[in-house]
Amino acid sequence: MTGQADLAAAVQAVLERTVLPSVIARGGAVRVAVTADGVVTADGVVTLEATGSPGAVFPLAARIEALIRTAVPDVTAVRLITPGQAGSPSGAAGPTEADLAESARRVLDAEVNPAIAAHRGHVSVEGCEQGWVRIRLEGGCQGCSLAEVTVRQGIEPLLRARLPAMTGLADITDHEAGTEPFFSPEKR
Amino acid sequence: MTSAVPGGPALPRPRVLLLVPARTYRAAGFLLAAGRMGLDLVVGSDGALPLGGRPVIPVDPGDPEASVRRILARAGPVDAVVAADTPMLVLAAAVAARMGLPHNPVEAVLNATGKDRQRLRWAAADVTQPSFRIVSAAAPDTAICDAARAVGFPCVVKAVSLSASQGVLRADDPASAVTAARRIRRILAAAGRSATESLLVEEYLPGPELSIDGLLAGGELTVTAVFDKPATPGGPTFEETLLVTPSRLPRPVLSEAIGTAGQAACALGLTRGPIHAELRIDDRGGQPRAAMLELAARCIGGLCSRALRFPGGASLEELVLGNALGQPPPAAGSRDAVRPSGVFMLPVPRPGVLRAVEGREGAAAVPGITGLTITIPLGQRVQPFPDGDRYLGFIFAEAGTPGEVQDALITASGQLRVVIG
Repeated sequence: MTGQADLAAAVQAVLERTVLPSVIARGGAVRVAVTADGVVTADGVVTLEATGSPGAVFPLAARIEALIRTAVPDVTAVRLITPGQAGSPSGAAGPTEADLAESARRVLDAEVNPAIAAHRGHVSVEGCEQGWVRIRLEGGCQGCSLAEVTVRQGIEPLLRARLPAMTGLADITDHEAGTEPFFSPEKR
Repeated sequence: MTSAVPGGPALPRPRVLLLVPARTYRAAGFLLAAGRMGLDLVVGSDGALPLGGRPVIPVDPGDPEASVRRILARAGPVDAVVAADTPMLVLAAAVAARMGLPHNPVEAVLNATGKDRQRLRWAAADVTQPSFRIVSAAAPDTAICDAARAVGFPCVVKAVSLSASQGVLRADDPASAVTAARRIRRILAAAGRSATESLLVEEYLPGPELSIDGLLAGGELTVTAVFDKPATPGGPTFEETLLVTPSRLPRPVLSEAIGTAGQAACALGLTRGPIHAELRIDDRGGQPRAAMLELAARCIGGLCSRALRFPGGASLEELVLGNALGQPPPAAGSRDAVRPSGVFMLPVPRPGVLRAVEGREGAAAVPGITGLTITIPLGQRVQPFPDGDRYLGFIFAEAGTPGEVQDALITASGQLRVVIG
C-alpha cells in the first residue's frame, strides 16, 4: 500500500498548498478519501471528501481536479463527495433523514426564523444526508459578515441540543450571491 | 466544557471571549480557527442576534463601560479575550483588564488606534518615521499650508482615525494641501467621525512599501509574515492592491524594518498579541531607511490572512488565538518552507452602483490563482479611495517564486471587468 499512501500524501499536499486555505476560510474542508483497505485510487480516479460548507468546495471542483491532475500525473480524474455519500469513509447511514430534516425545520421555524427576521433574514432546511443537515441562509443573512456567527454560535448548537441524531450542520449558502446582507464587511 | 482525551482524563477546553464587530471580514476566520482548535468560544458582538444556541453577548464598543459590565455578568470565566477586528480592540483590552487576564493595556491600544498618537509616541521614542505636523480641526487653512511647508512638498494629508487608505491624500503644493484637507474633513463627516478630529500632515516618503505582521509575547516580536506591496501608488491616493510574501527586499533592509516595527510597537506600549505594521523604505540619499507609516494592534485586515498558511496547516487566526492563550509563537523561519503567496485587493475603479464583476472564470483559471472572492454584493453603491472604505474583493495566489505570484495576480486582475452603473 506504500504506493497508495504516497499518492494520498501527494494529493493531500496539492490540496494544502493550493485551494485548502480558501476552502477553510469559506467554511469548508476537503481531504483525500481513503478506504478501510488503504486504497486511494482505482484506475486513476481519486475521491475527495468535502465537509463543512459545500458552497466552499463544490464551485472549485474543476479547478481542484485540474490542479491535482497537473501535479500528480497518476491521477486521471477526481470525484468529489460529501460525508456519507457512497464511497465516503466517514459516513454512517442515518435511518430517519426525512424525519431529521423535518425536525430541524420545525426547530428553525420556531426558534430561529422569528429572531433573524429582525435582520430580514431566513434560514431554510434543504435536506439531510447521513445525519448532516443542510441549511441555506437567505435575505439579510446571505452574505452577512456575521453569518458564520449566526450558524456556528446560534443555529448549530441549538440544533445539536434539540436533535441528538444530527451528525453535523452544513451551510450550503452561496454567500457571494447575496444582494442584501444585513451587515457588509469593511476593511478595518 | 471538557474534552475527552483517549486514554486520559478529560481536560478543560480553553474558553475564549471573542469580540466580533458587525462589519468585519474576519468573523469566519476566527470562528473556524476556534473550531479547529477545539476552543469553547463565547462571542460578544454589536450586531449578532441573541439566538437560542449559545446566545451572543450584545456589546457596544462606543460604550465600553456598559459593555464591560454586561460581559462580566454574562460571559463566565474565560482564559483569554480576543478582538476579531479594530472596532473591538479597546473593549477587549478593557474587559481583559477587569478580568485580570494578560492583555495589552488599554492605553497602549488607544495609542495604536490614532495616527496622531502614534506619531507623537514614536517621536518621543526616536522611532524612524516621516516628519509630521498635527493640525487641529478648528485651525484655519493657513495652518494646513504652514504644516505642509514645514514637512516639505510633496506631503501627505491624513485622517487620524480612518484605516486602509481612506482619507489619505498626497499634496504637491499649498493649494492642493488645503483642497486635500477639506476633502478629508468631508470624508470624516460622512464616516460619522468627530468634527473635532485633527488631521495629520506628514512628509511623503518615496520608496518601496511593505507590511509586517507579527505576534508580541512579553514585548518580543515574532514575525509571522512580511508582505511587499509592489503596486502601491505614489499618490494622490494610496489604495493598496498587491501584497506578495515573502519579501524580496535585501536581508539587511528587511532586518532593519523588522527592528523598526518592533521598536514602534514597544513605543506604543504594546506587549502582547498581533500587530500589523506598515512601513516605507525611504531610499533617498543612497542609504535605505525603514520608516514607520502606521501600526495596528491586530493582524492584517480584510481577507488577506487567507494568503498565509503556517506549519501544520494553521491559519493566522489560529496563531492569534494561541498567542492569547499563552502558547508560544511559531519558530522564526517556520514559514521558510511555505510557498510564496499573495493577494490582490480589487479597488473600486469609480463611484456608482456595482452591477457585475465579469471574467471571474478566466481570472480563476490563471495558473497560480488559488481563490477569488467578491465581497461587495451586486447592487450596492461603491466609492473608490480615498472616499470609500471597502475593496470589491480579493484574489489569492501561490506559486514557486514571489515574482510568479505577482505575475499571476496581475494577470488575473486583468481578466476582470468591473461593471459600475
